[in-house]
Amino acid sequence: MFFKLIIRNAKRSLKENLIYFATLVVAVASFYIILSLEKQDVIIFLKEFESDAINKLLALMPIVYGFALFLLFFLILFANRYQLNRRSKEFGMYLLLGMRKERLILQLLAEGMFISIWALISGLFIGAFLAELISLTVAKLVGQGIISHQFSLSLTAIVFTVIGFLLIQFIALLILGGKLFYQEIYQLLNDQMDKKQEMGDVKGNIFHIFIGTVLLVIAYWLALFRFNEVEGFILFLALILGCIGTIFFIKGFGKLLGIMASRSEKKSTKGLRTFTFRQFQENVAHKYLSVSVTSILMTLSIILIADGASSILSLDKVYNRETSVYDFTVYGEKEKVEQLLNSEEMAPYVADLNLLEIGHMKRKGEDADGMSISMVDWSKLREELILALPRKERELFESGDIQGYTISPDNPDALNLLGILEIDATIPYLIPESSYNRLLEAVDEEPLNLQANEMVLYLNPDLLPMEQVDNIPVLEQIFKNAAQSKENLLTIDGTAFFLRPSVPMRGLVADRSIEIHSAFIVPDQVFEQLVNRETYETYWNFRIPKKLQDEQGLMMPMKEASEKLSAAGFGFESYLHNFGRQLFYVVAGSYTILYMGILFLIIACTVLALQFLTQMKQTKNRFLTLSMLGAKREQMKKSLRMQVLLTFLLPISLAVVSGAVGIWGLIKAVFIRIDNNPLLFPMSIFFACIVLGIFSIYGMAVSRTAEGEIDKLRWKTNVGE
Amino acid sequence: MIGQGKLLEIQDLRKNYGNKGHVTRALNGVSFDVLKGEFLGIMGPSGSGKTTLLNCIATIMKPTSGRVLLKGDNISSFDSKRLAEYRGSRIGYLFQDFELLDNLTGKENILLPLSIHGVDFAKAREKLHELATFLEITDVLNKFPSQMSGGQKQRVAVARSLISEPDIVLADEPTGALDTRSARNLMNKLTEINRKNERTILMVTHDANAASFCSRILFIQDGVIFHELRRQQSESREEFYERILQLLAQLGGGSANVL
Ligand SMILES: Nc1ncnc2c1ncn2[C@@H]1O[C@H](COP(=O)(O)OP(=O)(O)OP(=O)(O)O)[C@@H](O)[C@H]1O
Ligand SMILES: [Mg+2]
Repeated sequence: MFFKLIIRNAKRSLKENLIYFATLVVAVASFYIILSLEKQDVIIFLKEFESDAINKLLALMPIVYGFALFLLFFLILFANRYQLNRRSKEFGMYLLLGMRKERLILQLLAEGMFISIWALISGLFIGAFLAELISLTVAKLVGQGIISHQFSLSLTAIVFTVIGFLLIQFIALLILGGKLFYQEIYQLLNDQMDKKQEMGDVKGNIFHIFIGTVLLVIAYWLALFRFNEVEGFILFLALILGCIGTIFFIKGFGKLLGIMASRSEKKSTKGLRTFTFRQFQENVAHKYLSVSVTSILMTLSIILIADGASSILSLDKVYNRETSVYDFTVYGEKEKVEQLLNSEEMAPYVADLNLLEIGHMKRKGEDADGMSISMVDWSKLREELILALPRKERELFESGDIQGYTISPDNPDALNLLGILEIDATIPYLIPESSYNRLLEAVDEEPLNLQANEMVLYLNPDLLPMEQVDNIPVLEQIFKNAAQSKENLLTIDGTAFFLRPSVPMRGLVADRSIEIHSAFIVPDQVFEQLVNRETYETYWNFRIPKKLQDEQGLMMPMKEASEKLSAAGFGFESYLHNFGRQLFYVVAGSYTILYMGILFLIIACTVLALQFLTQMKQTKNRFLTLSMLGAKREQMKKSLRMQVLLTFLLPISLAVVSGAVGIWGLIKAVFIRIDNNPLLFPMSIFFACIVLGIFSIYGMAVSRTAEGEIDKLRWKTNVGE
Repeated sequence: MIGQGKLLEIQDLRKNYGNKGHVTRALNGVSFDVLKGEFLGIMGPSGSGKTTLLNCIATIMKPTSGRVLLKGDNISSFDSKRLAEYRGSRIGYLFQDFELLDNLTGKENILLPLSIHGVDFAKAREKLHELATFLEITDVLNKFPSQMSGGQKQRVAVARSLISEPDIVLADEPTGALDTRSARNLMNKLTEINRKNERTILMVTHDANAASFCSRILFIQDGVIFHELRRQQSESREEFYERILQLLAQLGGGSANVL
């Protein structure tokens, strides 16, 4: 009997309260998704190249899980409270009929656990499906065919999901059961909205709005203009001020709205307008704290989603091989490597084989302090660069106050160039013309054909912050002027060298084995003459043949070639490393952040939805009265839809403003980089749609549920027929 | 004092609750007329079917059979849409527990029927003022129900029932939740409204005191009307009250308290 009642009640809860059940399912699914990250195709793939970083990321997951557990606990608590409130009358009746409280609570726990099992089954199913979908989409989207998809079900994820979910569900029910234990039957039977109604004075509310606005504006200002100062602290301060401001603003706004509604006499009898506003006011003004919290959650959610999405934007760079030429770079003894690469086994994988020679320039000697004396004199170039600086920096230079150099995208180009040359030009790297010519040939560019007294200033496109390293306007201008006036910008060991403008700059190796900012590309005999033999190194670069790529894609042959090189025992690096590392940043930067963002949004929406339905349930009688006064069903539904819209719109409107400011602040602080990415627009639209979609689904669900209540209402008044 | 025509005709009204196995006949063939300008009371012991009768007339409930004609229209056969047009505009209601919306101010509550039926406020401004003055509720117009006394609440409800100048006001134990003084005050106001404005009122009660304000009283028991009392032209309210008590004593074989 007892068991039957539990099952029947649980079934009824399921049927009557889809939102409650959906909340539980969402909680379960979110746990599973974060816990099964390890089994995502992309993560499995990246583990091969970036295992350290991936392990660090995975080690972070328990924290994310704990945080999600913490957040969802409150959601579950809220959902259960709503569910119990809905049935408080029923409980009152049980008690009135002599059921013992202990038994009632036991029954509640049993019912809760029964529903939890259903929620777990559905949630795990949905979670596994979503995780699979995400895994597949990401693999397809970022994998470019290398990341193979495999169906996976993470057992540990399931176990921890079950444990975590049951734990929070149990604690929540226990807390609520305990509360129920101390409630009097009278309270249960008369579950009504707080009868506290007050007009509130206009001045007080305007004051609240004023305080709220001021605090928000300060927070916005901090976020926009003071972000980089004492970073962490300012961010924290802006956050706190923003939260408090939001609370004040919403508190004042909710009440003021009601007052405004009652003030405009002319419109006061336009349909259920006054009623609608009063309901809205009650929902907002009396629950301003939770409405504010949802608004804050939505703000965070918008910022997080924008941040996560911007990481995805940088995917573009991952694929962009504009500057990267070689698929492989092999180190080791020059002849042995050459032999291997020309062997029958390796040859099919090798095209555009290029020996890159590199070494430091010899020194002229040492001065008294043991400092190197350079062969290079670039004082003329330096002068020109200083002249090209904006006034502020130029004055700094001319007064000799400049202390050190930073190379950053915020600097003017000329300053960055000065920095690089000051550091590099004393003992510059040298690269023979022939090495670079072969590279240019591989990408169908003209060879250099340098004159004996001509050189190229090589600038590494991967490390320099400039947009286009082969065409820096300041430098081009200086080179051009010099060519016209036949002036020497630079001499090496007393010999004047002309600097060749507009040479395409490409990556020298497959990934990062050579991390240099700049080098001098010189004619081969000059190289032989000037290079310091002690620093001389060689690298063998090659590409996967075009034909093989067309047949099998880039990644398969690369994998095979990697295996062969490893087997031969040579050190090497490949474009896969480059790709993997960049992909890792994108995945790590976007996955957890988007997850959190969406979680926040769902929590905010659920809280709003449950709160609205609670109010609706507690004030059901009002709708009865309305219908007795002649209100049509459609009229009441229209009012309800309006109420739902307003209830959702208020927190999100504020959140959109705060969120926009937040994003703007992050862009200014260069946390988020948007540049002129062609994906920017579609990506923003896509995520805006996701946010709006989640929002509308909840709004619609609430509307439907509430309208259903209205339908039931009519049925009750016509009892018997 | 009593107008000529029949405003409301109740013809052989029956109402059964429950289904086959377990039927309660709450109304068992009730017929009577309400004349224009009349203040009609309906009395009966608990469970006699008073509320059921009123709910059927009020269109809150559909009768099992029989007809309710308001100015000749059979409103018991109307669909919900047409009913909604009658409710709150042609029929006003008073309830025992007022049924004011507690998140609306007094004024907003009173104007609610107009809002629902889309009547322009400008036309009602004067009416609102007049009613509020008459019912002595001008100073609670901007208060919420939780800030009003019971008597004030019921008078706000009276104003709400009259704002759209309905043909008839239906009241179900309007004094039920009021103390003696507030109850008498309310009944005085209702009587005055009935006399001065010739507003027809149909009131259900089991309080003999409240009933003594009526011009005619019907007695109902077990779902049928079995007796009628009319107040004579010359009769004072106190005398009428005595007469009601006497009748109740005879009927119930006890005191008026049984009702
Ligand atoms: N919803 C219902 N379902 C079943 N039976 C009902 C229902 N409402 C009323 N009844 C029955 O119909 C009969 C008449 O009830 P009604 O409420 O009309 O009485 P009443 O005269 O208003 O009583 P009271 O003075 O106590 O308010 C009673 O026997 C009651 O039990
Ligand atoms: Mg009754």
